[in-house]
This record gives sequence, C-alpha cells and structure tokens, in this order.
Amino acid sequence: MNPQEKLAITINGETHELDVPVNKTLIDLIKEDLGLIGTKDGCRQGICGACTVLVDGVPIRSCLELAVRCNGKNVTTIEGLRDAGNLHPLQQAFIDNGAVQCGYCTPGMLMMAVAFLKENPTPTEEEVRKALIGNICRCTGYTGSVRAVMTVAENQGSNQTKSIEITA
Amino acid sequence: MSLPNFEYRSPKSIEQAVALRQEYGDDALVMSGGLTAMILLRERLVKPRVVISLSEIPVLRRIDFSEQELRIGAAVTHSKVTSSAQVRNIAPILCEACGHVGSPAIRNMGTVGGSISHGDGASDTAPALLALDAEANVTGPAGERRIPLKDFFHGVFSTELDDNELLTDLCIPTPAVGTETRFMKYTNTSEEAFATVTVAISILRGKAGICTNVRIGLGSVAPIPMRAVEAENLLCGKVVTKELIKEAAIMAASEADPPSDAQASREYRRAMTAIWVRRVLEDIFLDKCDS
Repeated sequence: MNPQEKLAITINGETHELDVPVNKTLIDLIKEDLGLIGTKDGCRQGICGACTVLVDGVPIRSCLELAVRCNGKNVTTIEGLRDAGNLHPLQQAFIDNGAVQCGYCTPGMLMMAVAFLKENPTPTEEEVRKALIGNICRCTGYTGSVRAVMTVAENQGSNQTKSIEITA
Repeated sequence: MSLPNFEYRSPKSIEQAVALRQEYGDDALVMSGGLTAMILLRERLVKPRVVISLSEIPVLRRIDFSEQELRIGAAVTHSKVTSSAQVRNIAPILCEACGHVGSPAIRNMGTVGGSISHGDGASDTAPALLALDAEANVTGPAGERRIPLKDFFHGVFSTELDDNELLTDLCIPTPAVGTETRFMKYTNTSEEAFATVTVAISILRGKAGICTNVRIGLGSVAPIPMRAVEAENLLCGKVVTKELIKEAAIMAASEADPPSDAQASREYRRAMTAIWVRRVLEDIFLDKCDS
C-alpha cells in the first residue's frame, strides 16, 4: 500500500477533500476517483495532449502531474467549460466547423484553445496552429479545429468592437 | 501504466530539500516540473524510495538580476523564462531556446533546472546556456558552490551534481556590450519534437572586426550538451571571412559525436551540424565579411 496524503483540490468550482495515494496522477484522480471521464488518456508521455487540463488557468498535461502536487489548486476540465447548461463558444464552434471526428483529442484541444484565446484574443492562424502544436489529431488534419478557434476569436473581436461602439 | 510505489516529500525550503537529499542519497528522485521524472518512474527506469518535489519552494521560482548577472531559479518554467522581459533583455537566446522546448503545455510544466540537472544531450536550453557562459549554482550540506556549465555534464544522464546536492539557480553573466547571440533549433519532423541539431552562438566583435569570446553551444549531436571548442578557437582573434566560417562549421561538425536514432542518423546529424553552424555564423557576419 502506497502512502497517502490529504488533498484539497477544487475541480470545476467544486472543492474536494480526500486522501490520495501519493503516486496517483492527476488524470487518474479526475477520471477514476471523481468520475469526470471527459478528459482523455492518450500517450501518458506528455506528447499527445489528450489529457490537457487547466491548473490555476494554465494548461498542463494531467498524465505527468501528481495529484498530491495540486493541493490547494483550481483545476478546470472539459466538464467545467459549460456555462449554465450552454456549450462554451469554442465547443459550439468545434461542432459547427467539423473539428471533431473520433473526438479523442477534442477535450484536450479545447482546453488548450480556451487558455490560448484568453492570453491572445486576436491571434493569427499561424499563432493558433502553434498553440495547438502539442495536441495531436489523427482524423481531421487540424483544418476544422483551427477554423473553429479563428471563428471564435473573430466573433469575440467583433463583440468587443460592438461594445466599444455602444459605450462610445 | 500506473506509477510504482514511493514515499513523497515536499520540502518548503532549499535547506529542507538538501537535508532530504542527504538522508536518502541516490534512493531519492528530485521532481521539479515532473516531465522527465514522471516518465522515468512510469517506465520503471528508476525505482526511488522517495520522490522529493520542489513544487513548494518559492525561492526556486525567482528570477533576479544585478549589474553582474542574471539569476534564474531552477524551478522557473520555460514559459516564464520566455515571457520574462528581464531575461529577454540580457539573454534573448535563452528566451528563444525555452520557447522551442516541446509544446506550450510542456513549457508550462518543464523547468530550466530540471532540464539541466537531467543532463540530457537533447536539451534545447543547455546549448543556449553554454553559449551564455552560464554557471550552475548548487547547494549541498557544506553550502553553495558554482559549477561552470561547460564542466557540469559528464555523460548520458550523469552530471557534476552530487547525490546530496540540489541545483538551485542558473547564473548568466551580463554579456559585454557588442556581444551578438543567435539560437537555432532544426528538426526534420515537427517543431515540438526533439531537435536534429540545436545551435547557440555568442560572439563579441571588437575593433577592426576581430572576434573574441566566441562560444558555440550544440545540442542533440552528442551524448551531452557540448561546446565546439576547436571551432571557437578557429574564430577567436581573427577577422571573420566566408572561408573561415566554412572551416569553423566543418570543425564544429567534426567535434560532434552524434547519436543515431529513429529521427536521424549519426551522419545526417553531423552534416546538419556543419550546415547550421555555418548558416548561423553567416547570419551574424554576412553583411560584414568580404565575400
């Protein structure tokens, strides 16, 4: 039996206090213990990006992080993107742009895209491709995903312009 | 595959971490960003009794600078280095190198100290730090000591770091005015992959175009990150010409001891070393040297 430690972790706004084996990865805690199975488990080497989640807003690989090291942190998974039952604009854009085929890379790619647009709300297509370089998709060829991210960025941009016009 | 069993410690200070290093010796695995440590554990390449996490030592995440040097804490992530205006100001090639490590989420996790203490020949940051004459600041039971990075790497995954020591900072001396630096990572697969060859060069050009302080750091072309010292000597004290650049590039390639792997053969890596050292040097000198 491996040693355990007490862990207080907030996932998608809900704080959990539990005892975890110190050798448990963050992805295993999320999927096995908390039943949040949206996050996908791919290569377990940090290469494929399927397991990407946000820790304190920063995208990381949950397969390469120990759960115990996330004590006191805020984790957002794909399940946390929905707002009051509505899909996140990026989720909707992925559907609208045919960015999903088998869907295995989608949760990780969405988490990466969400963090990226927060940091860079008006990206070029080249910047989007660079941001998603660590999220491997073997079905779609990335065209749909990149278009989806660009669409959301452009919509956000035009919303911002609108609100400026209104307040001016 | 799940992880093997281990005990876990998360010291709150450098002193506590060094005490744990002393207590467990080579039965401990130090975990900074976790990228390498987690894979070593999962693949059962190491079976430590204890994992010492550096995630709760805030002082290791600091970037300080004085007139003499820039000091980067061992647990500063590659992303933080890339976005640091201070680092960009003094050591722009280190920002570039850190910006070329893996993919964005990997850079959010991986740390400068982790990459260096691991002693991996494929490190992208090591060639830049070698070109910048960096020193590793190390704390052990007897106190601190500084190891020039050129003496730090011993062999595959083996370094100057003792079992009871901890790498705490990387120190980069402020470059002399007029120093020119370049960084280049070439990969024949995809940008986030390991390099075929990484080249980092720092050169001070004095009066009449004479070169001094030439440093050529190379990555992925030897078991450890290396400096092409013979090529540096060829350029040092000379006025650089196109011919001399060609000679130095060939010399650098002959100093390399490249591995063959799935990505590139030994011969290909050596050929690419000559080409990219030449191109980087030409980028520094071409408009100034007689053609």
